[in-house]
Amino acid sequence: MTQTRLLIIDDDPDYVDGIKSILEKADYVVDAAYNPKDGFEALETGNYDLLLLDIMMGRGAEGVMVARKINKDPVLREMPVLIITGVREQIAFLFPGQAVHPGILPTDELLEKPVNPDLLIEKVEALLKEAKEKKAK
Amino acid sequence: MKKFAYFPGCSLEKIALSYNKTSVETSKILGVELQELEDWNCCGATTYFHVDQLLAYTLTARNLAMAEKEGLDLVAPCSACYKNAYTTNKYFKADPDVAEHINYALEEDDLQFNGDINVHHIMDIYVNEVGVDAIKEKVKVPLEGLKVAPYYGCQIVRPRKNGEDVENPQFFEDLVKAMGAEAVDFAERLRCCGGSLIMTSRTAALDMVRVLLKNAVDSGADVIATACPLCQVNLECYQLQVNEEFGTDFNMPVTYFTQLLGLALGMPKKKLGIGSELVSAAPIFGEF
Amino acid sequence: MAAKPTFSQEISNLLYASQGSPLKNCIQCGTCSGTCPVVNYMDQTPRRLIGMINANLKEDVLDCNTYWFCASCYHCTVRCPAKIDIAEAMYAVKRYSIWHKTYSEDLVGPTFSETFVKTIINNGRSFEPVLAPTYMFSMGIKEVLQEAYMGTQMMLKGRMPVLPTKIKRLDNFKKVIRRIIPMGGEK
Repeated sequence: MTQTRLLIIDDDPDYVDGIKSILEKADYVVDAAYNPKDGFEALETGNYDLLLLDIMMGRGAEGVMVARKINKDPVLREMPVLIITGVREQIAFLFPGQAVHPGILPTDELLEKPVNPDLLIEKVEALLKEAKEKKAK
Repeated sequence: MKKFAYFPGCSLEKIALSYNKTSVETSKILGVELQELEDWNCCGATTYFHVDQLLAYTLTARNLAMAEKEGLDLVAPCSACYKNAYTTNKYFKADPDVAEHINYALEEDDLQFNGDINVHHIMDIYVNEVGVDAIKEKVKVPLEGLKVAPYYGCQIVRPRKNGEDVENPQFFEDLVKAMGAEAVDFAERLRCCGGSLIMTSRTAALDMVRVLLKNAVDSGADVIATACPLCQVNLECYQLQVNEEFGTDFNMPVTYFTQLLGLALGMPKKKLGIGSELVSAAPIFGEF
Repeated sequence: MAAKPTFSQEISNLLYASQGSPLKNCIQCGTCSGTCPVVNYMDQTPRRLIGMINANLKEDVLDCNTYWFCASCYHCTVRCPAKIDIAEAMYAVKRYSIWHKTYSEDLVGPTFSETFVKTIINNGRSFEPVLAPTYMFSMGIKEVLQEAYMGTQMMLKGRMPVLPTKIKRLDNFKKVIRRIIPMGGEK
């Protein structure tokens, strides 16, 4: 059986190291892209089963730009996406007390930084399972 | 004469109200039609860009889209607004991904921006659309004997927009001469006033203001003419602080170029917005 | 797959989200430092800062105040013989510092930026009086009195707003912003 392949798009290399090692321990094959442009190019190869996406990159919330591009692609939009962001820390002062969720993709879920390793694995598994069931239908 | 979408910007609502009034009035006299942009929002100023450039472009794009809807080029009297509008316009043309993303956001306000308009500083309109010679012809009260330090500041010339001369521009001097005044040799005319550092790094900014005031005094100027509310406030309203901080005794009037232009064009003195200065401009405009 | 980026690559990623660092073109000529009107107040000159970024001296870069003292006057940008947009690079480092919360607490810049953004999101326009507390805290008593005196004078002369102005289509405006920054959305 082929292994499940995950892609991380996050501009923070130390952070990527952290979640990569957690996910690799759980037997996933993990690749990383450190800017949205490289990230989207990697996605277009179609090699991935799930995407872990950061929000604040480049000139602002470019993670949202990536998400919108995914949404426009009929194949990519079926891929589960786990958004991992510290956006609340960075700009939550703008809309205090409100939920942090872009909700811009058909299959996305959100995890806030700092990430709890168990919760990370749990969410990844749940998203992959959901995607598999959807495919089976 | 051409019509423009007028974007006054937040500063011109209150702190630089005199700049607003005299821009509108001098435009009328020079036959430039300014139609104020309906429901314009803040351009983001410089501080915005620290946090989120995409957001800053979005805010400015809303203003640009409203001007484009009217089929008009945008004109701003504030150098910072002008620079932000100019850069956003440029990015829209250079980066289709960003343009598409921001247009998606603008849909929420029933707006779209295609990058089909140009952006100007109001002085650019006066110098290049109206023309210095045409202005000279309309001068009724030449400001003979008045020594003016033309202060360009930064963002009206920098970053470079259309290949213009950023090291030795002359358009401000030309405009001052057209008013019948003398443009003094003001060596530091392109040096920064400190901008928003006046709030975040006060001593540094006061020192920057001090350098400019000293140079203006040394050049024999009676008045400094500005084309930006940030420059005007820093140079004028903070003179007292500069004097206290550095033991100087500056008492240099600092006005908007449109106030001097208005005077030369024969605008009634009451309409020039004089009298709200912290450093009296009475030596130039007389008592009110 | 992509190798782990160095600090200088991280900074260039913040610039245009593109490959290659324009900062790498720096020839260390010092035109920027010679031009900069705030250089005397900076811990490191702009030339040194660029050299430090290129040498991946992350801690030293983040420890210095240089980019917070940049007034965005673009004098270095227009003069740079290597055509580096240095002012733009300063913004990138500011962004890095805010996103990673590495700036020192006594700097006014970050708090000021935050308050400024908040005011505009809530009103659509800027309003000077709410900004004052963000920088007054860093001042001595003399400066606070000076600032208060000036504020009062400006108020009396009709140059200081008493109430913020709001734009008319504020609801739409906020919706526009929510499409750019992912806040307040329910799944």
